[in-house]
This record gives sequence, structure tokens and C-alpha cells, in this order.
Amino acid sequence: MTQSAGVVRARTVLVIEDDAQIRRAVKTALADSAERIVEAANGREGLGLAASWRPDLVVLDLGLPDMPGIEVCREIRSWSKMPVVVLTARHSEDEKVALLDAGADDYVTKPFSTKELAARVRAQLRRALASSLSAEAVVTADELRIDLPARRVTRAGEDVHLTPIEFDILRAIASQAGRTLTHQQIFDAVWGNAVGNAQQYLRVHITNLRRKIERDPAKPRLVVTEPGVGYRFELPR
Amino acid sequence: MILGIRSFTSWLIWLAVLIVLTIVMHGVRQDIEEAHVVIPYLLVVLGGSATGGRALGFTLAGLSFLLIDYYFQVPFDTLSVGKPLDWVVLLAFLATAAVATQLLARAQDEAREAQRRTREVEELSRLAEHAEALREANRLKDMLLASVSHDLRTPLTTIKALAQEVAASGDGRARIIEEQADRLSRMVADLLDLSRIKAGALPLHAEINTSDDLVGAVAAPFASVPRERLKTILHLDQPALVGRFDFVQSLRILGNLVENALRFAPDDSPVEIEATRDGAMLVFTVRDRGPGVPEGERERIFEPFYRPDGSPPDAGRAGLGLAIARNLAELQGGTLTYASLAGGGSAFTLRLPAADLEPPPASL
Repeated sequence: MTQSAGVVRARTVLVIEDDAQIRRAVKTALADSAERIVEAANGREGLGLAASWRPDLVVLDLGLPDMPGIEVCREIRSWSKMPVVVLTARHSEDEKVALLDAGADDYVTKPFSTKELAARVRAQLRRALASSLSAEAVVTADELRIDLPARRVTRAGEDVHLTPIEFDILRAIASQAGRTLTHQQIFDAVWGNAVGNAQQYLRVHITNLRRKIERDPAKPRLVVTEPGVGYRFELPR
Repeated sequence: MILGIRSFTSWLIWLAVLIVLTIVMHGVRQDIEEAHVVIPYLLVVLGGSATGGRALGFTLAGLSFLLIDYYFQVPFDTLSVGKPLDWVVLLAFLATAAVATQLLARAQDEAREAQRRTREVEELSRLAEHAEALREANRLKDMLLASVSHDLRTPLTTIKALAQEVAASGDGRARIIEEQADRLSRMVADLLDLSRIKAGALPLHAEINTSDDLVGAVAAPFASVPRERLKTILHLDQPALVGRFDFVQSLRILGNLVENALRFAPDDSPVEIEATRDGAMLVFTVRDRGPGVPEGERERIFEPFYRPDGSPPDAGRAGLGLAIARNLAELQGGTLTYASLAGGGSAFTLRLPAADLEPPPASL
């Protein structure tokens, strides 16, 4: 991956998609984001190319002829952290949750806008680059500053008082900014294996958290809801 | 009744057999040994209890006992017994007959019980098969809808992608192709959803959610709409309003209402979303200052394929939005209603079940 003048560019992006027309459209859309684009028309070929090219990012279609795309995703995830952006024709939220739980980083639903796809891919490249540099101890977004080790949050220099659970939720999503975490992933990060009904209040905690850290809690910009799927911490650009 | 007739017949038959046997053996009683008399009687008792049950068996045993004693034991034709050994024979007969009757009857009871159970099990398995078939039919319906949706979307994806490519090279007509592809894909989605709802194949996830979260998510896709045009009213000075509803489907209902409001109301008039609580329900209201809905059409707007009179045939969507929205509200135990606003405009009200948290999460 390279970065110049704030623009992240991948060395290699792998596109796994059986429809030649869509593959071409994806290639065109990503021309500015990658030096080289490698193509595969089925899952087996895709896995082979992923292993040999070690791409910076994979665009993966779910409806492949030889194996379920979600299996391809799991297999890649078993040995690599390379970002996987999934193309899916299914619009059901359960499907999206299954994808993220299988290790996908983001998804775009068909029919998609090529601009949207390019933006998602760039965001994942930026995120991958940032996390490869260092695991950040301090996250800043707008006027919000989150000191993870010190468990301290300030907004425009003023202390923000969060409950322990609110802080744990914020830490879980902010330390993976730009990535949608499923409700389950947040549960696991905050409550671990605890049993009880505390988890069902996740959405209430998120609401209270927003009221403390968002400039306009009615139009949240930092903690973004991905309906039916989970939440994402956005770093404003 | 059939059983009554059957047992009555076997009583008649076996009593007749007993009489015939006695008459026959009476004729030759000088030539047969007393112990040999007992065996045929025992057979009659067994036969009787096998076909007529316990009561017939015991009756035959008792009668046989008396008949043997009277006709076949010396002294003949009296009830007195000559030798002590004869007592042994008689009592042995009675005991054998009684035990055999009892055993046979019990075996029959058990057989009947086993049969009844078998029938029950068969009945249950028929029911289970039926339920399985229903589940299978549902699954197929689901799969069919999913595959139709997939098959319709794939060509649309290609059309849209190619149109975007052509549009990038400056051909304005490509933009129209893309818009129409989007429209078609929305209609496909609406039609599929309505059929899913009608087929009962739409999964709902009723969970604890807040009105803040829902209203925020409703406003999110309209980020490009100016703040004065789309107003969200949350009462942030009070604790968050909590309900138990399906977030995605409720979002869809409100998103549809806001979209309609923005489309039909004048560009410079505000559209408001407000969340409040009324007793056991959360109330979400979408208000606009548009033309409103004429008196006679206020319920018709919730019917599928409704289109306002005089609207061009290709205006907007297939007219399914409000029908889907009302169905989705009712599936969650809520309602969706329309009221006109004084001074012009519309208010659509979505009511969803509220929830009270125990203990309040603030204390966790």
C-alpha cells in the first residue's frame, strides 16, 4: 500500500466475481485506488490468487458458481487480515450480520453505485493502513478525544463522564473506527461471556453514549447505526 | 354398541357350547374317567375368555365347576362330592380355569392398549409429517422469493454499472438509464416484500430499541437535505424513550413516510419527525405542510397500488409504500394512521409498543 498527499493506493486488489460485466465495472471503479487489479471468476481461483498475490484488499462476490462466497471469506480470514469488501445481491440484514461475523470488513449491496463501492474500498484501505502503523492509544474525532489506556474521554477539552459500560462500548467501536461491528461483536467485546439480560440494553447504552459525545444526538455523526446489523465509529474526514 | 353386540354373541355361543358339551359327555359319562372330563371344560373356559373377556371366562369356569360336580362326579346327579381326591380335581379345575382366564384377559388388555398406542403414534407421526410439510413449503416459498430477488437484481446490477460507466464518458442519457434501473430495483424490492409479508415469510426481530436511535437512522439517508427542511424532534432533556420493536422494519416505515413528505410538500416547507410516548405505546409522527390527502381517500392510501387521482402513471413508485408500511406496523403490534393538519398538511402517526426497563440501565 502507498500513501501520497493523503490518498491511499493499494498495490494489488483482488476481485472475485463470476459475472464478467460486473467484474469490468468494479475494475473501472477501482482504477484510481489500485496499481494492479487481479481477477478471479470463481472461489477456488480466488483463494489461489489471494494466497499467491497477497493483495491489499479483496472485493468478493457472494454468489459464486463453485462455493459460497461466505466460505471464501472465512478461508481468507483464517490466515490473513486483508480487508474483504463483499458484493451481495441479498438485502437481508441477517445475511449482512453473517457476513461481518464471518470476518468481512464491509459490504455493498447490488445493484450498487460504483462510486459508493470505490469509497468503501478507499475507506477500508485507509483503515488497514492506519491499523498496520500502530494500534492507536488515543482516538480523536472532531472535538472528541478518547484516551483508551487512561479510560478518559474529553469533548472540546471538557471531561465527559461515561459509565464503565458506555466506555467499554466506545472503546470497542472506536478502536476499530470505520468498521461496522455487529451487535454480537460488541456484546462479546463489552460483556465477554457474561450471562444475563444486560446485553439487550446495548441500544439504550448507545443512545445514552451519543447524548454525551455527539454534537447533535438526533443526527449522530460519530456513532453511526447500521440498521439491523450493528454500529460503526466514524472518523470525520 | 358394536362391541356390546359382539360380546353378547360370544356369550350366547360359548354358553351353547357348554350345554352341548355337557349333553354329549353326559351320554358317555360311564365310559370316561373323571379327570378327562375336566380337560374339555377347561378348553371351553379358555375359548370363552379369549373371545368374550374376563367376565365370560369366570362365568364359564363357575358353571363348569358346578356341571362337573353335578353330572360327572360320583355320586352322579348330586352336588355332593364322594372322595377327597375329587375335591382336589374340582378345585384344581377351578384354579386353573380362573388363572388362565385372568392371564388371557390381561394379555388381551395389553394388546388393546398396545394397539391404541400404535394408533396414537401413527396419528402423531401423520401430524408431524404434516407440520414438516408445512415447514418445507414455507422454506421453499422463502427460497423462491430469495432466488427471484437474486435473479431480478443481477441483471439490474449490470445495467446500472454499465450506465454509470457510459455516464462517466459524458452521455446524459445514461443517467436516465441508471435512474430507471434504480426505480425498477425499488419496485422489485417492494413487490417482493409485499409478497413476503402476505406469505408470512418476513422475519421480524422485536428487540429493545430507543426512539433516538430510530429517528437518527431515519434522518441519516437524508443528510443532503437542509436542516430547516427536515427537523427531528427528540426530547433530549428526558430519559431516552425505549420500545420493543423491529428496528429495520420500523426504519422502513418512517423512511417511507419522510420520503413521501419530502416529495409531496413544497420545497420550502418543513417536514418534522417527532418521537413521544403515550401510555404503553411509542408515538412517531411525521408531519408535512403539503397538500394533504382528500377526505374520501384517507384509508385508500394504505391499499396496495394506490395512486392519487390524476397522477401520471410513471410517477414515483408502484404505490406499495404505504401498504407495506401499514402491514409492517401491524405485524409488530402497532398501528399506522393518517390525520390531516389544521391549516393544511398531513400527519402520519406510527405507534409501536413501548418498553419499561428493569432495572434502568443507568444503574448498571
